[in-house]
Amino acid sequence: MRVSRSRRLRPLIGAGLLALAVVYAFPIFYMVLSSFKNERDVAPPRLAFVPTLDNYREVINPDLVQHLTNSIVITLCAVALTALLGVPIAYVIVYGRLRKPTSRYNWYVTTTLLPAVAVIMPLYVIVTKAGLLDSRALMVLLYTATGVPLLVWMCVTYMMDVPVSIIEAARIDGCDRWQAFRYVIFPAVRGGVASALMLVFVVTWNEFLFATAYTFTQAGTLPVFMNRYMTQQGLFWGKMSAAATIAILIPVILGFFAQKSLIKGLLTGAVKE
Amino acid sequence: MFAVFRKEKRVNWLEAPGLAVVLVVTQIPFVVTIALSFVNWNIKRPDLDPSFNGLDNYRFLFSDGDFYRVIWNTFIITGVSLVVGLALAFLLALAFNRDFRGVAVARSILVMPYFVMEPVIGIVWKTLILSPTFGLNAALSKLFGVDATSFFDSKHALWTIVILCVWQWTPFLFLILLSGLQSMPEEVLEAAKVDGASRLQQIIYFKLPLLKPYFKVAGMFGLINLLKVFGVIFVTTQGGPGVASANLSYYVYRTGFYDWQVGRAAAISVVMVALTLLLVNIVFRFQGDVTKRS
Repeated sequence: MRVSRSRRLRPLIGAGLLALAVVYAFPIFYMVLSSFKNERDVAPPRLAFVPTLDNYREVINPDLVQHLTNSIVITLCAVALTALLGVPIAYVIVYGRLRKPTSRYNWYVTTTLLPAVAVIMPLYVIVTKAGLLDSRALMVLLYTATGVPLLVWMCVTYMMDVPVSIIEAARIDGCDRWQAFRYVIFPAVRGGVASALMLVFVVTWNEFLFATAYTFTQAGTLPVFMNRYMTQQGLFWGKMSAAATIAILIPVILGFFAQKSLIKGLLTGAVKE
Repeated sequence: MFAVFRKEKRVNWLEAPGLAVVLVVTQIPFVVTIALSFVNWNIKRPDLDPSFNGLDNYRFLFSDGDFYRVIWNTFIITGVSLVVGLALAFLLALAFNRDFRGVAVARSILVMPYFVMEPVIGIVWKTLILSPTFGLNAALSKLFGVDATSFFDSKHALWTIVILCVWQWTPFLFLILLSGLQSMPEEVLEAAKVDGASRLQQIIYFKLPLLKPYFKVAGMFGLINLLKVFGVIFVTTQGGPGVASANLSYYVYRTGFYDWQVGRAAAISVVMVALTLLLVNIVFRFQGDVTKRS
């Protein structure tokens, strides 16, 4: 009896949970919906409306395009540099000959814990003196430095998962270090590294503290643009929603497809099984 | 760590470039922060050179009522959001840990808030949802014939920030706890079912204890990230009214970039880092060595 009842209920439960998820994320859907409304239908909110692309037409102007370009260029460069600098660190921690690899690993993990406000004042002074304020290069440097520890954290756990026996086998077959990495270790950790980089991408794209402290117009990223939009044109909610939808599009899509693997890298090291 | 390559040349130098970048951007400036916290320096007064003033910055902070309020706010924002977020995440994980058509889509929708940038979270909630004049808040209040609550006044601002933090961080905690539930050995739960344990008993006596390590990790992530909440406060309340909704992160920024008191801002950062390390250690002393694996 119970079995058949629960079987009959199953689609209902599924629909219920889907509805629950939509309710939870409702503010996001509501924002996207508002971005297709005329301003007079947005505030006060009106249920019936004729969808329009006017908000997008107005909001996609050179100012937004510049911030979007900055976000893309800065994030991609930072992610690439993070990979270039971070993967070798993980390699050295796992396969190198550091005297205390575990404490070095813990050092990187701890670094990710430190709040960014702990360094904003001295960095501001240094950066101003060096004439790097409001430059893309500066933002790439900062985001690489925050991305590397995060990547190392996740990457080390993936590399430790590669069975030593297959690396030994490759060594016996005459692979040198580089070949063993290229043909044995790298293929095994590729998926993990990719999801780690995805997390770095999302975190970098969304970063607000450094961006708002060190950029103005030249190197400003989308979070800075959104904040300024709010203070300058906060009354036009339809256009604001359109700009916000553009700003969150890429990370939300990435997250939509990659959320599961994002968690794995952070967990495998942290949860002992 | 592994001795596979013992006979090879050293490769440790590969670490150097990345290590250098991390040191230059995070560690060295933090040492400077500590030094600056003993200095009296207003950037916007070039006529007054920075001067050493001993513990004056700290003395000022600890004799200032606002500072205690900010520390209190930090505890509330971090603590309440973390506890509520973990509880909510646990319930959601229990609910979503089942197979049904579209489960992947449902989960993905549920975790979307985590991927939205803080300024957008702040803006959307402040205007479209909670605005007492034109937002959904106004429409619903009118529908039920009550006065719209102004969520960002001195009475509500702090708790509104807590709500936004819970909303943003629950999905991430949910993902961690969900993967914990999914890694749970089937046999244990089967055995419990056979022994006639009720749903609730299964949760209390089996799922909760088995999830303990996942709760620790989720708690750790939540703690660290909630302590540094900044963007949501920046775009919604600017820490106000007064300092009613400011936390330490935001207070550092305001002192540094509005008052231009470099030394004082540095001192607040130092207090904040000390507090972070203290809390992380107190709450997670039993965490142990994370790299030790079977």
